[in-house]
Amino acid sequence: MDMKSSIKIVPQGEIAVVELDLQGEKVNKLSTPVMLRLKDVIGELAKSSYKAVIFISKKPKIFIAGADIDEIQKLKTREEVLTAVNSGQEIMNKIEDLPMLTMAAIHGACLGGGCEFALACDYRMASEDPATKIGLPEVQLGILPGFGGSVRLPKLIGLQASLDIILAGKSVNAKKALKMGLVDRMVHPAILSEESLRWAKELISKSAGKAEKKYHPRGTVNKILEGFLGRGIVFKKAKEGVLKATHGHYPAPLKALEVVKKTYGWSRREEALKIERECFADLGTSEISKNLIHVFYLTEMVKKSSGVTSKDVKAREVRRLGILGAGTMGGGIAYVAADKGIDVRMKDLNVEALGKGLKHASDLWLKLLKRKSIDKYQFRQKVDLVSGTTDYSGFGTMDVVVEAIVEDMSIKQKVIGECATKMRPDAIIATNTSSLSVTEMAKGHPRPEFFAGMHFFNPVHKMPLVEVIRGEKSSDETVATIFELSKKMGKMPVVVKDGPGFLVNRLLLPYMAEAAFLLQEGMDIEFVDKAYVKEFGMPMGPFALMDEVGLDVCMKVLKIFRKSFGDRIEIAPCMEGLEKSGRLGKKNGKGFYKYAEDGKRIGVDVEVYSALGLKSPSNTLSSKECIERGVFAMVNECSRALIEDKIVETPHEVDLAMIMGTGFPPFRGGLLRYADSVGLTYIETQLAEYAVQRNAARLRPANPLKDLAKANKKFYTDSAS
Amino acid sequence: MSSQKSPRDVVIVEGVRTPFAKSGTKFKSIHPAELGRVALKELIARSNLDVNLVDEVIIGNTGNPVDAVNISRVVALGAGIPQKTSAYTVHRNCASAMESISNGYEKIRSGTMDVVVAGGVENMSQMPTLLPARIQGLFDKLFAAKGPKQALPLLWQLFKADLKQIRALLQGNYRDEYFPVIAVMQGLTDPFVGINMGQTAEILAKEWGLSRQMQDEFALRSHQLATKNKDKVKEEIAPTFLPPEYKEVLTEDFGPRDNQTLEALAKLKPFFDKQTGTVTAGNSCPITDGAAMVLLMSREKAESLGYKPVARIASYGFAGLEPERMGLGPAYSTPLALKRAKLELKDIGLIELNEAFAAQVLSCVKALGSDKFAQEKLGLSQKVGEINMDQLNVNGGAIAVGHPVGATGTRLVLTLMKEMKRRNVQYGLATLCIGGGQGGSMILEREA
Repeated sequence: MDMKSSIKIVPQGEIAVVELDLQGEKVNKLSTPVMLRLKDVIGELAKSSYKAVIFISKKPKIFIAGADIDEIQKLKTREEVLTAVNSGQEIMNKIEDLPMLTMAAIHGACLGGGCEFALACDYRMASEDPATKIGLPEVQLGILPGFGGSVRLPKLIGLQASLDIILAGKSVNAKKALKMGLVDRMVHPAILSEESLRWAKELISKSAGKAEKKYHPRGTVNKILEGFLGRGIVFKKAKEGVLKATHGHYPAPLKALEVVKKTYGWSRREEALKIERECFADLGTSEISKNLIHVFYLTEMVKKSSGVTSKDVKAREVRRLGILGAGTMGGGIAYVAADKGIDVRMKDLNVEALGKGLKHASDLWLKLLKRKSIDKYQFRQKVDLVSGTTDYSGFGTMDVVVEAIVEDMSIKQKVIGECATKMRPDAIIATNTSSLSVTEMAKGHPRPEFFAGMHFFNPVHKMPLVEVIRGEKSSDETVATIFELSKKMGKMPVVVKDGPGFLVNRLLLPYMAEAAFLLQEGMDIEFVDKAYVKEFGMPMGPFALMDEVGLDVCMKVLKIFRKSFGDRIEIAPCMEGLEKSGRLGKKNGKGFYKYAEDGKRIGVDVEVYSALGLKSPSNTLSSKECIERGVFAMVNECSRALIEDKIVETPHEVDLAMIMGTGFPPFRGGLLRYADSVGLTYIETQLAEYAVQRNAARLRPANPLKDLAKANKKFYTDSAS
Repeated sequence: MSSQKSPRDVVIVEGVRTPFAKSGTKFKSIHPAELGRVALKELIARSNLDVNLVDEVIIGNTGNPVDAVNISRVVALGAGIPQKTSAYTVHRNCASAMESISNGYEKIRSGTMDVVVAGGVENMSQMPTLLPARIQGLFDKLFAAKGPKQALPLLWQLFKADLKQIRALLQGNYRDEYFPVIAVMQGLTDPFVGINMGQTAEILAKEWGLSRQMQDEFALRSHQLATKNKDKVKEEIAPTFLPPEYKEVLTEDFGPRDNQTLEALAKLKPFFDKQTGTVTAGNSCPITDGAAMVLLMSREKAESLGYKPVARIASYGFAGLEPERMGLGPAYSTPLALKRAKLELKDIGLIELNEAFAAQVLSCVKALGSDKFAQEKLGLSQKVGEINMDQLNVNGGAIAVGHPVGATGTRLVLTLMKEMKRRNVQYGLATLCIGGGQGGSMILEREA
């Protein structure tokens, strides 16, 4: 790599413009060679007579994207981490200590190490452009800002705003950055380089000199909160906020908070940075950080993938999307599509149903409007993209139609066939079925190569996963188009083979079925759910999840699975009582839990035990057993899905799907990474034991799992990722 | 007797409109651009149109909403017409949405363009109430004031002026110089001779000998035909949802009354001439909100895209007359359009003549059938022709359906074209009177 031309000094009279343009890479990042070159450049500048230095990027939408994550992932020991962080901090110090005034001219992503770089400068100018994002996302990777960011940001913008950014790993746009004082000026991107020069000259002529980072709180309340006495309150609130959001599973924000707490208001830079360094080292080698970086790589993998192996296949652009069925799923799909600028037309049987779908989408944008995330013009533009019809008018111009009607094979086949005649012959239909065979359904389509599955999860606007189901006859182009469309809609697609429950539901079903047995065996609903949430880190426990999915749906799918998988699926006797007591879950406000008018969960319905013919809970099982039985049941089924049935190709896809589709705790790195970390032999032993103890044939270890355990293998073959 | 087909013939491929709703009711909080967007979006969908083919969008509008002065552009972008495609708004009062079609016709006919969307939008509920000049003057000074020293005396004056305005409002004296200007009222007053549109109808009623009974009977007919045929007319209407709840959806016009009786009409007091008048709110059209769109193409383009057009535009004509007799406009513009189409009135099998006022429609019928009128006013040797009432406004007219001023022109053409197809009529006429003293007429020939 040519480092000389990656960072070079371009003299502009008494100003040195330092152009950042990492050769051979799409983005600028602070890798070791870059840092070494930077050190030289700073050294050169320190000896020069320039009066000002402007750092500017030559990349189209990147200032500096951050540190090199590959390098962080490879750090093994505390010493390695300390050395790496220390050298980074030193370079930032050298920038800060340059004798002339320094300025960062920021356009595009200015994140993590990039942001810390900018913070080491005296002045910051940002471009008013949607690509410009400034922030410190480190905690999302289980680490904290370690190149002085945890110290310099609070100094510059105060305690409240900086904690907001650091603890949540947030980034802000130029406008917000200007408002909070993170940047000093904002200009149109086209004139960023001219304006930064002009401003530097102006500063020189005014002999403005170096700028000291000092935050001036506005308003009495802020003055008190930023003051010596008020800080305690801010720290306490921040800690509560973090614990509430993470249930204590994520140490990074707490460590970051510790750094800020210990160093805020200090003028002794070296000591403050030492604290930052030490805290970073506590996190840098942790399992959790490695897991979170693993998840980051999984998402990067999707970004680079096209969904098919052949490189020659091109996804077709989707501008117009039809949706059959304006129900909750249809309305949700309409929302995510139109939100990204796709023209959407829903079809349903009558205008009343259409109205509900239109309202579903409109209400979600209304929320954004009220929160001021969008303005009324953006709101209008988004709403305008969604229309409805009771016939197929307009379907002749659709690129793709997503079918989201009732889960009934023969109805779906009929409607798909009917719809295909109204569309262009090369247009694609995708089904949002969650439980029916895509290959079977394709028989309803006159040209099954233009048919595939596109399985969204409920609620569509929140759940990032889309399972792209390749039917036997689906063409590569069809799969690639649906894959790309999912990405365009802001979703994480995973290509799966056709099979009962595809991937995610196939794994979730044994998990939910197991929860029902826990209930049968005298466990308390809340106890089990709490164990999963607080101890294991799931976003909700299995009972809450079943309520969300709909108890009628759960039962229906359980029965289908029982047919397909035999003994592997057992249905706890108590589940039969659900239907009789009219419990459908959240949708009718009556499930394992009770629900308020607005759909908010308000505690376990105490009548549920007697309604299901159970005694009041005796809670004889440990939370460990409750968790293991559910999670290991998933691992067990997964070994079959992955190894025997090849529903997906790699463990990576399983982990991504489980995190994005079920909220499986990211800090555990995904289901299979978690399984690998606890050891497959342990899992096999436990399953075998539970199978005997609880008389549960369903929990007997599956052959592929046994084989792996016997060979002392893991799901992941490459230990590096 | 069919005309020779030419590749540059201008054909109408499809048309659709929103329901029309009496002002102050269903659409009162829906922006006129939104009404236009709903209609245009539906037009695009129903014709499976590739929006990239549209050369221009031309939309009529009279209210000129201050937040969307070139409303055509707002409608076009909202409906998904590409940014590269130009759009402009036309204004010819009540005929604005016929003017848009005639603009498109000329551009296609000349070979300049091949695909044009034409239409009209109006939300009369949302026409503004303006500050009277006396108060606006104070505001102008206030905005220019420097510092509180200049501003305070002006604020005091403004306060006093507001009191005067309240007095004028309490007295109901709209001639008072402090009375707010109600745009919709001002718009219905002729700016040249200063009389209200209703008063122009009164003049015609008296001059053409149209009794109160005759007018009321015609109004009743409009309601009866509109309610009787509403299911048929639904074909041209885009179901329009009422956001943000989307619970209510309008699929038919909100105006025609199926329980309308002659007795009820007879009870209404004359509105414009309290003593000797015969024009009432019942035998006039209501102020209304709505939008209508048609898709125009050259014959060759339509054929190459595989469309089967509904009608061909045979000719159009606009003509002027005395502003105080504006309601008679169709009697002037129709012979012009007929002449341009080389047709006679007897060749026309179906007529949509806009019902601004019953008196005005009936006087047009009389004038067209009058040799004297033809000789004195049109310079013709004999009458234009007799109108067969069984072929006039067969699905009711504006008295029942309503008259959203800037949208009506397209609505007439749309309703006419659909009915011509149903009745297998070869030639049809859409015509309307225009505030300010004009008439507009357009003749269609059936294609499908």
